[in-house]
Amino acid sequence: MNSFPTRRDAIRTVSTGFGGLAFASLAAQLARAESAKNPLASKSPNFEARAKNVIFMNMGGAPSHVDTFDYKPKLQADSGKAGKYGGKGGRGSKLLGSPWEFKQHGQSGLWISELFPNLAQEADELCLLRGMHCDAPNHNEATTQTHTGSFQFVRPSMGAWTLYGLGTDNTDLPGFVVLNAGNAVNNYASAFLPAYYQGTIVGREQGGQLSGGSSMDESPEVDNIKNASQSPEAQRTQLDLIQALNRNKLKREGHQPQVEGMIQSFELAYRMQSTMPAVVDLSRESTAMKEAYGIGNSQTDSFGRQCLLARRMVENGVRYVEISSGGWDHHNNLKAEMEDHCAQIDQPIATLINDLRQRDLLKDTLIIWAGEFGRTPHGEGGDGRDHNNKGYTTWMAGGGVKGGFSYGNTDEHGYEAVEGRMHIHDWHATILHLLGLDHEKLTYRYAGRDFRLTDVGGSVAKDILA
Amino acid sequence: MSLRTLLLLSLITPALPLLAQENLPQEQLEFFEEHIRPALADYCYECHSEEAGKTRGGLLLDTYEGIRQGGDSGDTLGLDDLSDSLFMLAITWDYEDYEMPPKQKMPQDVIDKFEEWLEMGAPDPRMREKHYVESAVDIEEGREHWAFQKPIRPQGQNIDSFVESQLKEAKLIPNSAADSLTLLRRLNFDLVGLPPTPGEARVFHAAYQQNPEAAIATKVDQLLARPQFGERWGRHWLDVARYAESSGEPNFTFPHAWRYRDYVIDSFNQDKPYNQFIKEQVAGDLLPYQSETQHQEQLVATGFLAVGNKGLNDRNPRTFMMDLVDEQIDTVTKSVLGVTAACARCHDHKFDPIPTTDYYALAGIFMSTETLYGTIPGLQNHRPAELMVLPRNGGAQLGPSYSAEEIENMKKIVADTEQQMLDIRTNARKGGERPEQRQMVQLRNRISLTQGKLDSLDADGNTRNYAMGVREAAEIENAHVLVRGDVEKPAQEIERGFLQVLSNGEPVSIGSGSSGRLELADWLTSTDNPLTARVMVNRIWMHLLGEPIVGSLNNWGLTGQEPTHPDLLDYLAIRFMENGWSTKDIIREIVLSDTYQRASTYHEGNYAADPENTHLWRANPRQLDAESLRDSMLAVAGQLDTDRPIASPVSEVGDARVGRQIDALSFYNMNYRSVYLPVIRNAVAEPLALFDFVNPAESVPRRTETNVSSQALFLMNNHFVTDAARNMATFLTERFSHPDERITSAFLLAYGRMPAPEDLAVTKEFFANYDFEPVVAEASAERPFQRRGPGASGAEGGMEGRGPMGASGGKGKGKGKGKGRGVDTPSTANYEAVKPLPKEQEALAMFCQALISSAEFRILN
Repeated sequence: MNSFPTRRDAIRTVSTGFGGLAFASLAAQLARAESAKNPLASKSPNFEARAKNVIFMNMGGAPSHVDTFDYKPKLQADSGKAGKYGGKGGRGSKLLGSPWEFKQHGQSGLWISELFPNLAQEADELCLLRGMHCDAPNHNEATTQTHTGSFQFVRPSMGAWTLYGLGTDNTDLPGFVVLNAGNAVNNYASAFLPAYYQGTIVGREQGGQLSGGSSMDESPEVDNIKNASQSPEAQRTQLDLIQALNRNKLKREGHQPQVEGMIQSFELAYRMQSTMPAVVDLSRESTAMKEAYGIGNSQTDSFGRQCLLARRMVENGVRYVEISSGGWDHHNNLKAEMEDHCAQIDQPIATLINDLRQRDLLKDTLIIWAGEFGRTPHGEGGDGRDHNNKGYTTWMAGGGVKGGFSYGNTDEHGYEAVEGRMHIHDWHATILHLLGLDHEKLTYRYAGRDFRLTDVGGSVAKDILA
Repeated sequence: MSLRTLLLLSLITPALPLLAQENLPQEQLEFFEEHIRPALADYCYECHSEEAGKTRGGLLLDTYEGIRQGGDSGDTLGLDDLSDSLFMLAITWDYEDYEMPPKQKMPQDVIDKFEEWLEMGAPDPRMREKHYVESAVDIEEGREHWAFQKPIRPQGQNIDSFVESQLKEAKLIPNSAADSLTLLRRLNFDLVGLPPTPGEARVFHAAYQQNPEAAIATKVDQLLARPQFGERWGRHWLDVARYAESSGEPNFTFPHAWRYRDYVIDSFNQDKPYNQFIKEQVAGDLLPYQSETQHQEQLVATGFLAVGNKGLNDRNPRTFMMDLVDEQIDTVTKSVLGVTAACARCHDHKFDPIPTTDYYALAGIFMSTETLYGTIPGLQNHRPAELMVLPRNGGAQLGPSYSAEEIENMKKIVADTEQQMLDIRTNARKGGERPEQRQMVQLRNRISLTQGKLDSLDADGNTRNYAMGVREAAEIENAHVLVRGDVEKPAQEIERGFLQVLSNGEPVSIGSGSSGRLELADWLTSTDNPLTARVMVNRIWMHLLGEPIVGSLNNWGLTGQEPTHPDLLDYLAIRFMENGWSTKDIIREIVLSDTYQRASTYHEGNYAADPENTHLWRANPRQLDAESLRDSMLAVAGQLDTDRPIASPVSEVGDARVGRQIDALSFYNMNYRSVYLPVIRNAVAEPLALFDFVNPAESVPRRTETNVSSQALFLMNNHFVTDAARNMATFLTERFSHPDERITSAFLLAYGRMPAPEDLAVTKEFFANYDFEPVVAEASAERPFQRRGPGASGAEGGMEGRGPMGASGGKGKGKGKGKGRGVDTPSTANYEAVKPLPKEQEALAMFCQALISSAEFRILN
């Protein structure tokens, strides 16, 4: 396919575009008639929301904070000295100064290492949270806690809570979309929340990262999005039967969350048939735009596509989009790996921030960047760092956070959060607050008690609110 | 980072791991011992050694890592640029304020030796000497944890007594028994993973009217005796055993893994005692046997230890071995014991009383074991292994035989291709170019595939029977504790042994000539082991009741969950052991209990008090797992082939790299039961992957249950589903002349019950409204799951020999065994466009699709 849309493409664009066509609106009308009370319909927040949408960038494997956003001059100075951290494992390992230079950027003078030359230009949009800590130094547990607040039990994902609290502006698309999903689907689960709040995985290629292969225009395939031999009207008639049978079952049995979930998932699936292909169609973007996101460059292609797709989703009313970049577990080969991985995401993120700003969407969109924990200031085998859940950095940008701001601090070497400490519960409470949700009021009654994303903890970091 | 730094990095980084002691050439070792070690001791250790307790300038010179890591001033040796070596500058007194040794310069010949040594890359064998890892785990205290104590026989007569006493305490009134057809459907799916046929339903219903208890007992015995029982329950174990037929990334096929799969299925069908089952998988090669068949079976059982994920592109044999060992420890301890021992690889277990030394006691056992997993060498495979050759008399030959001429021919292909590659290289070099990579890869592939085939033949040109498994290693060794799991930092040696917290304190004796796997197998399956029986009955309970007694199925340690019914758990575990570890007996006992047979009906009061049904006041409604859903669709379409295929499509393809040399999709074009679909890591068949199949990267105790629109899209649009619906419609049309009969029968097939009046009402409405011409399909549509074998597609396939109404799911009639192997390789171009059906039948097909997409088809009440 050409990079530039041909006339035929343009016609197709019109014929499957949003808004325009009888079929799409017909589908929407039918859907509305189908369920007058759609649980996914947009809801008012508890108080005025600072952000409407979320783009969560999950950095799987846990990137080092002391080499990126947590500048530690003392660590540089003490590099090679015996570390005093980390109990049995850490004692005796030497501190390892960051191999990269940090500089101040923007009017705010935020310290960012040379690993992020493009993102550094957006320093004045970033709100660094440098006092993060979580409860487990293992990937699976910490990743699950980052997503759900708990790692011992299956709990609803942050995206599911958001959808439960706010609904979605476009009920023809899933409200919680996960691109490039990992295998641990419980991180996107609705758990005891109704099933229709769980994340919808889009474009997961088997065994590989989301990428478009040979063509810049190639869009992620949404599997089974089209029926080979039935018109949408015929399918609607069939769907009416499926739903009628399902409702019969529901009526007979009184209460059946699984059936309710199936009813909702079929309605959404039916509507997605007409909306989804257009949203993920990258041929609708200019070549310049795609290149700006790094699409077509093998290093940045995967994350660039995700960033651009995330923007297209948010633009079309998807409430919560999760994208991800993996391979940050640098026990060894830190130098080479960090240069490579940071380069994979640097340009795409910078472009996304800029692009959202230009479209006036940045003020409504909360970008969250986070690994499941950080890494130790002491070295591992000379060119690596071990897991560190006691202190690390995440950042936010856009909707309602102070830009060019740094909140919290780790100790002199970056080992443990000491100031502005932010546990995952606090982090979740703050995110919900930015979305206009009170984390203590966003509850769901289950098993005789009211559950929250923040369990019994969490306090909002008011200092970071714009 | 500057270009220069980058270059330096790429120069020094790979050099480090190569200096491990075992790789040191003898002359370097001698050089170090003769010249360097004494000099270091004489001139340096006084201020720079652990022994002296002094680390001036942060520098330790008495260990491998110390001297390499350098001191406060950074890199000391300067191996990347000796002119810049702080070490040399210091000992030559050319480094102001850092003249070393400070009082008197070393003699020049010693300095020269040091320089020579640095030029060699500073080979250093001292890594083994200085580490000692101490454990801070209190084993005695650890034994206090409830799960680490043996089960105690509780007071109570049977399963129901334990459940009912708890219900009474919670003031809950349990549901009464499910009706006969609901119960039949539940039993069918739970025991054999298939829906009851309408014929079976009629027979059972009639018997139930006469005598419910007798009807149920008879039915349960029938189901337990069916070969599909092993397919259902074997698959449960395969989840836990992280079974797959490829290695993970880089993804090489395991063409012989299927033998282990079949072994597991057969074992459940034979009701092999569970302790024996575990013993065979851990040490089958070491067990005595009465017949060659038994010997072979026990060899195949050890495939358990071989079918795991493997990072075959690892260039370092030691890290690869330790990762392999770790994977085996992880799988064995999680699956059999429900403990996460692998957490103790780098340090003492963070939560459980498992010191890192215990981990290495186990590691020695597996290091003394050779894992035979095959795979072909290649660019991305630096770690191929041998396979187990099975004695021929134990089974039929699977692969083809080749004549001497054909073998010569293959040899010629290999030789010619090698020559061709050589020529290309030579020519390219002449022209100052590099050979074209694509072509070279193709040629290399041709060699490895052909050579692989040649290697699989015996002297007579017959294909050997291979299996994956293990045998005792040539060298039996204890492991050394590795500091933080780093193979470059071995500490003290650890005698082979087991987890202390689960042992009674008596010393383990493992002979110096054996790995200890046999002893491990005995220890795992001893009735004194507090976990083995409990862990298994907990798994069985979950598969039947929907929820386990201990929620953390693979983690019974201190962060695991408490049992909801501790007495019941111990009762079941003790029953299990006393009944000779019979899986069928314990399953029978559970499904014959009132607890199992309750209706799943919602009850407002009970739900408010106990929404999670912790106290088991009702049966848990469950979603069908992926295999049951796929098998059921094929079954109601009359398309399910209940025979066991011979081997696996992967064995037909042989050794290859998935995604490069073969496309995994080509494997899934078959109508056998889902358990026989190949499990390719990272490329699981869509109808399974989409409905929460396991990720076979590690032992998975429980499937997740999702409910998302991508599943709905599959049910609405995928050819697998539309084909099933069409075949079901065709069958109904040809069997019944009256439309009402077709509709009623469709309900019977799909739901296992007669349609309710409200169901008939909405059905009538559907047929009244359905008036559409089918769209002509796009010819390019891919149909990867359509069956295209002989007599397998279209109406004939649905009708001949096996209607879905049949009264038994037994053997198919008159089918040649050879057919199972006829898996053709589909090419996308061959997929036909969907031919529209006559309008009336199209409507019926749409109706059938609605039934199999609806909630009742997918949910087990």
